Amino acid sequence: MSHHPISPCHDEDHGAGIHAIDASVRLPVLVLFGNAVHWLVVASLLAFVLSVKLIAPGFLGGISFLTYGRLAPMARDLFLYGWASQAALAAGIWLMARLCGRPVARGLAGTLHTTLLIGSTVLWNLAILLGTLAIFAGYGTGTEWLEYPGWASAMLLLSFLLIGIWAVLQFDRRVDARAEVAQWFLVAGFCCFPWVYGTANLLLVWKPVQASAQGPIQSWYCGSLLVLWLLPVALAAGYALLPRLLGRHLNRRNLAALGFWTLLFLGGWNGMERLIGGPIPAWMTAAGVVAGVLLLVPITIIVINLLGTSPDSKMTEVGEQGVVLAFLKNGLYALIVAGLLGALCALPGVSGTLRFTAVSDARFQIWILGAISFPLFGVLYACLPPLLGRDCWCRTLSARHLWLTFSGLWLLVSLMILGGLFTGLALSDPTVSFLNITSYSYPFHVLECAAQLLLLAAAVILGLNLSRALAWDYLTKNPRK
Amino acid sequence: MHRLPTLLIGIFLVFLTSWYGMVAYPVLGLGRLMPVPDPDTGGSLPGVYGGQAVAGQRVYAAEGCISCHSQQVRQTSVTATDIERGWGVRPSVARDYLRDSTAFLGSRRLGQDLSNVGVRLPDAKWHYKHLYHPSSVCEGSLMPAFSHLFVTRKIQGQRSDDALDLTGADIPKEGYEVVPTAEAKNLVAYLLSLRHDYPLPEAPVKKAGPSAAK
Repeated sequence: MSHHPISPCHDEDHGAGIHAIDASVRLPVLVLFGNAVHWLVVASLLAFVLSVKLIAPGFLGGISFLTYGRLAPMARDLFLYGWASQAALAAGIWLMARLCGRPVARGLAGTLHTTLLIGSTVLWNLAILLGTLAIFAGYGTGTEWLEYPGWASAMLLLSFLLIGIWAVLQFDRRVDARAEVAQWFLVAGFCCFPWVYGTANLLLVWKPVQASAQGPIQSWYCGSLLVLWLLPVALAAGYALLPRLLGRHLNRRNLAALGFWTLLFLGGWNGMERLIGGPIPAWMTAAGVVAGVLLLVPITIIVINLLGTSPDSKMTEVGEQGVVLAFLKNGLYALIVAGLLGALCALPGVSGTLRFTAVSDARFQIWILGAISFPLFGVLYACLPPLLGRDCWCRTLSARHLWLTFSGLWLLVSLMILGGLFTGLALSDPTVSFLNITSYSYPFHVLECAAQLLLLAAAVILGLNLSRALAWDYLTKNPRK
Repeated sequence: MHRLPTLLIGIFLVFLTSWYGMVAYPVLGLGRLMPVPDPDTGGSLPGVYGGQAVAGQRVYAAEGCISCHSQQVRQTSVTATDIERGWGVRPSVARDYLRDSTAFLGSRRLGQDLSNVGVRLPDAKWHYKHLYHPSSVCEGSLMPAFSHLFVTRKIQGQRSDDALDLTGADIPKEGYEVVPTAEAKNLVAYLLSLRHDYPLPEAPVKKAGPSAAK
């Protein structure tokens, strides 16, 4: 069997076992990843259009549904729910099935399970599509990150519960009594999303509380969605794949539990830093500052665990494994930068200058497209060959996707940080007029547009590579070479 | 940590801390804030929105104004100069938002802060012109035109009082006028009612007014 060497399973579990496990989750994982990538392309396109609108405000002007105010939440929500959350579901299902060393279900139960998962995936994507169209048509809620109307977010939550419950139940059915670190993170992520998303929608969208209480809840939601749902799944990918790819054990595994619990503890509080100096009680501001800085503790532990496993670089083999490894490692680098930037921006003095500037955009990008998306790309590259039973990626396209993503993201983030610094410093001088400050940021916006174009190209190439890989199955009679 | 119940209970308890502090406390504490009596008018503070302004919040949400505009004046610090910039006379506090349907706090300032836009720019005509074609009144503005909130129609008899006094290329052809739709009127009514300039027990205002706040 020409099989992909990456196996999150223990070395003793191989052969037929892995085939049965992969077969039990093949269709749902492929459908989830396929849809996620297609939303990534749409979101990247919207992000590019938005960056053009910052250079030429009249671009696509006069059309109600194409104004900046509607496209911006559409793009962000597609990145969050269309791409990242859906890819995290796919990655989570595959990793959990593999790590638990047992097919999710067999026979009739297997067919029912697959049908249910596919049905839920259809529901998820329908909710995304209708929610996006609702924002398009002017029915957005105006609550940041929760712009989808109540019925669409209810569909998303229901769909998540139907998909996610299997990953958690699977944990209880695992072969090996000793749970892996990656499995803790998966269980945590899959448990946190319904709680976070349900609470936030209940209190902000379905039955909004008095607006004086909405600020902290909204900040908590933003922090929790990233750090308690998406990041744990991304980290699970790192914990599951990196040591195996490098053929080593985790470095200082005894620290992992501390990292896990501190991350969960600080994840929610971390969001508070979005409101430093704002209309909240002083103790909340203080909690935000402390959590923003302390988040460096779990990040440091995670980095020690994962990057400590690779002191030498003899595994810099090209091809899929190289791509997977590069994405996983760069995901960690992005996490380090996100953590440092978060800690810095949590300091009241720095926050006073940089909050509301492009630096907050830079932080969002580095979280969602770096620390979270890179490991998810890694899982996508790692899982497809064993799921399809053949070497399915086009090496050239994979390599182009890798380099375009890296260069696009780092260029975008550096420009946003620089532009944010400029405008932040100018804003703290009240004698400089606001329109003058707007003109300072023009050159940065022009270059950001180029960076968005690189990211769009990267997304399109990934889409092409994935379509090619999937279509090959239908085009050739004999899928296994 | 190798058994599902142990792991789930641990996750639940750890997660509960931030949920308690940032969800339960705000709902039970900040969510129950009450208006305070206004000694000057006998009304209450913050003031009640008029019907048009209430409807205007819906337009504000639908158009995604929050993508570029914040509504919060921060505490003055060495680096945060919201008050010096003239965006308000005192920091915004939670009570300021209790009449709002949604707290449009915002996280980005591609445009100016709007917490006190009703005080800073009290002219409805200016807002209509600005919404119709922002750079005609603010050269170099990044704001897109919201011309879809206006209609160009044939003048029937007398020119409407609401008709915009446009300049340059925006002037409609002879016999036509540009008037705001109900949505534009609601939005502008909402913008004009945005003000955090009254004193509250937790946020007093120095009597001297905005110019002396420096």
